[in-house]
Amino acid sequence: MAMIDEPLYPISILIDELKNEDIQLRLNSIRRLSTIARALGEERTRKELIPFLSENNDDDDEVLLAMAEELGVFIPYVGGVEYAHVLLPPLETFCTVEETCVRDKAVESLCRIGAQMKESDQADWFIPMVKRLAGGEWFTARVSSCGLFHIAYPSAPELLKAELRSTYGQLCQDDMPMVRRSAASNLGKFAATVEPSHLKTDIMSLFEDLTHDDQDSVRLLAVEGCAVLGKLLEPQDCVSHVLPLIINFSQDKSWRVRYMVASQLYELCEAVGPEPTRADLVPAYVRLLRDNEAEVRIAAAGKVTKFCRILNPQLALQHILPCVKELSSDSSQHVRSALASAIMGMAPVLGKEATIEQLLPIFLLLLKDEFPDVRLSIISKLDEVNQVIGIDLLYQSLLPAIFELAEDRHWRVRLAIIEYIPLLASQLGVEFFDEKLGSLCMQWLEDKVYSIRDAAATNLKRLAEEFGPDWAMQHIVPQVLNMINNPHYLYRMTILHAISLLAPVMGSEITCQKLLLVVINASKDRVPNIKFNVAKVLQSLIPIVDHSVVEQTIRPCLVELSEDPDVDVRYFATQALHASEQVMMSS
Amino acid sequence: MSSDLDRQIEQLKRCEPLKESEVKALCLKAMEILVEESNVQRVDAPVTICGDIHGQFYDMKELFKVGGDCPKTNYLFLGDFVDRGFYSVETFLLLLALKVRYPDRITLIRGNHESRQITQVYGFYDECLRKYGSVNVWRYCTDIFDYLSLSALIENRIFSVHGGLSPAITTLDQIRTIDRKQEVPHDGAMCDLLWSDPEDVVEAWGVSPRGAGYLFGGNVVTSFNHSNNIDYVCRAHQLVMEGYKWMFNNQIVTVWSAPNYCYRCGNVAAILELDENLKKVFRVFEAAPQESRGVPSKKPAPDYFL
Repeated sequence: MAMIDEPLYPISILIDELKNEDIQLRLNSIRRLSTIARALGEERTRKELIPFLSENNDDDDEVLLAMAEELGVFIPYVGGVEYAHVLLPPLETFCTVEETCVRDKAVESLCRIGAQMKESDQADWFIPMVKRLAGGEWFTARVSSCGLFHIAYPSAPELLKAELRSTYGQLCQDDMPMVRRSAASNLGKFAATVEPSHLKTDIMSLFEDLTHDDQDSVRLLAVEGCAVLGKLLEPQDCVSHVLPLIINFSQDKSWRVRYMVASQLYELCEAVGPEPTRADLVPAYVRLLRDNEAEVRIAAAGKVTKFCRILNPQLALQHILPCVKELSSDSSQHVRSALASAIMGMAPVLGKEATIEQLLPIFLLLLKDEFPDVRLSIISKLDEVNQVIGIDLLYQSLLPAIFELAEDRHWRVRLAIIEYIPLLASQLGVEFFDEKLGSLCMQWLEDKVYSIRDAAATNLKRLAEEFGPDWAMQHIVPQVLNMINNPHYLYRMTILHAISLLAPVMGSEITCQKLLLVVINASKDRVPNIKFNVAKVLQSLIPIVDHSVVEQTIRPCLVELSEDPDVDVRYFATQALHASEQVMMSS
Repeated sequence: MSSDLDRQIEQLKRCEPLKESEVKALCLKAMEILVEESNVQRVDAPVTICGDIHGQFYDMKELFKVGGDCPKTNYLFLGDFVDRGFYSVETFLLLLALKVRYPDRITLIRGNHESRQITQVYGFYDECLRKYGSVNVWRYCTDIFDYLSLSALIENRIFSVHGGLSPAITTLDQIRTIDRKQEVPHDGAMCDLLWSDPEDVVEAWGVSPRGAGYLFGGNVVTSFNHSNNIDYVCRAHQLVMEGYKWMFNNQIVTVWSAPNYCYRCGNVAAILELDENLKKVFRVFEAAPQESRGVPSKKPAPDYFL
């Protein structure tokens, strides 16, 4: 393993391996570049190692990527900030390679280095490099340059600033769409460093050009720019400049652009503020919810709650809810799924009355959806609705749906229902929790899927905790104990598991009188798996019952099991015996 | 000792591979257990029978969620643990660790992919190399493959094998005489057991399009079941879209346990639960949902100074 104080002898190996044929060895060596540099010393690193790396630029992309990353944190090894400029040439070269990952990493490292350089050094080294890249013949250099302006600009003298702005303007109008894309996606960062006076004039006109680009891949990046630039501008400028662009974008002929608007919607609303959102963005949002393209509707449907929170309930009811109704029977299951995952949060926004009248029918419809994900989304968030509409109504309207889903074909839907039962029970109270729900809980103990049986046992424990031992004695325990005679070992095992979970809740007396006997009888089962689970359950009962019971009932049974022909039965019985001895000794 | 193994099992259940040294130790212990097993390993009911897994680790976890955890549920796996999926290493090591920890609760028999030659083509070799930086783990595992039993006999009533029957085999005793501790041969009884397929149109024996093993017809199965006094043959080896498929008037059943095989076939998977009275129920299950799957991690290269 590599330690912090690595011995010096591998250095020569590392240097050799920078030139090795095997890419794996070269990569390892690059990852240890700082070790090499420390061994060489600052001066030789500057004069030998860095130039060597600069020449070594036709290596595999993976190696170049590693180099680009390492060089980003290399300032301490070349002698500190004042020598930082020696790191620029190799990274400048990496900015021009064909592989995007390498270029991106090189830009990232250059930004990191540039931000630490002194202003005069920036002017001497960094800004000229940015200009060289921006004027590069091959498009890769120009693409990379876009991501460096926000570092170069702040320290530049006035004259140079004007030049940088106009250079960026040229990049925004570059012949290659790749360059314009890069200019569009970096515009926000650059704009944040530009003085407000230039922002409104120069930058906004660049931006407007990009929003009219004939490539949709450029325009969709400009959508993100709307949110960023909107936050930089004064509110009134934002409304006059950015808002019209957003509205235009929401009707763009390319669905990818409209999709971008839908998925960025919340950020865009934040940028323009609540008032213009209510006045101008509601129609745009409604259009997106009714878009022809399913992808756009998916993105829009997922934002429905977040958007409604910005609006007042009345606007939401009037404009958004009709669309939601349409979407709940959308032809695309993915749209319905997106809606189902977001819609429950609308209940608190709309208030009780509207939820009951308008939302509840939609929930019920989605609960019957043929696509399990849709049903699952609704069930897992039912509690948000409980709080709004109250338990009575939930009971009447949702319970039938829950009964239906309790037998759903997909076991994960059944699982979601089981996990919801304790919450339902606590909200319904003991009087509402009737026979029908109770028998449902028993039925799950015999589910064909193990995870459901397991969850069913846990559910019984939580019900016993909620309603108390007396209730459990009437409604749970006898039914559970009856099922110990199931002819299938896996179902008997579930009952043993349920007993071990119920015992601590029921307390010592009931455990000794009712539960223990059933467990002891099960130790005579013909299936070894039951027998070693009996041993495990007995072990869990030891802390609950009196010592006399351990002595007279539990230990004799465990002793017998510890002589079973099956090795696993013997193992778990012996474990339990040890545990019982420890309990007896400690008291 | 068992606590160390219990920790390794927990680790493997999270889909984290063991260290190379741990794999070596695990394989040594597994060898001691497997060498004692018969070519026709006796298995008691109740037991749950599973078909091909093919390195689909998260789908195997789904299998355990449906069928129950080992050792609570007894399992018989019919081979083809490795190749094709992303997690052959973790899949096989988890099953092997369970075998070492609970030898009487889980039985593993050999599939045609448990072979040096096949794993070099279909992914297990590359996966070991990628995850460990050397082929040592592949070597330990393939050495263990040679010790895996060739078939299982449940309560003397159900014969289980990965592929199918062989023209060289008419009685179970003939299987018992095979010297199995070797790489899967290109032909002969041992090869056929791991490679053959039942086929409707074939009268008796036919040439297999796989290039190894045979196609065999209903008559072959009838006479095999009759002369060995068994109820039916249970095998894996072939993708069936519904997870399981009976053939030849319920004399042979195929069980397939890799849902959405190769992450794209769209099939469901099944396991066969036999209770203590050999009553059978097929449990059908689907691939694990996306959110319960881990992202295949790009492990950093093994440390240089190791």
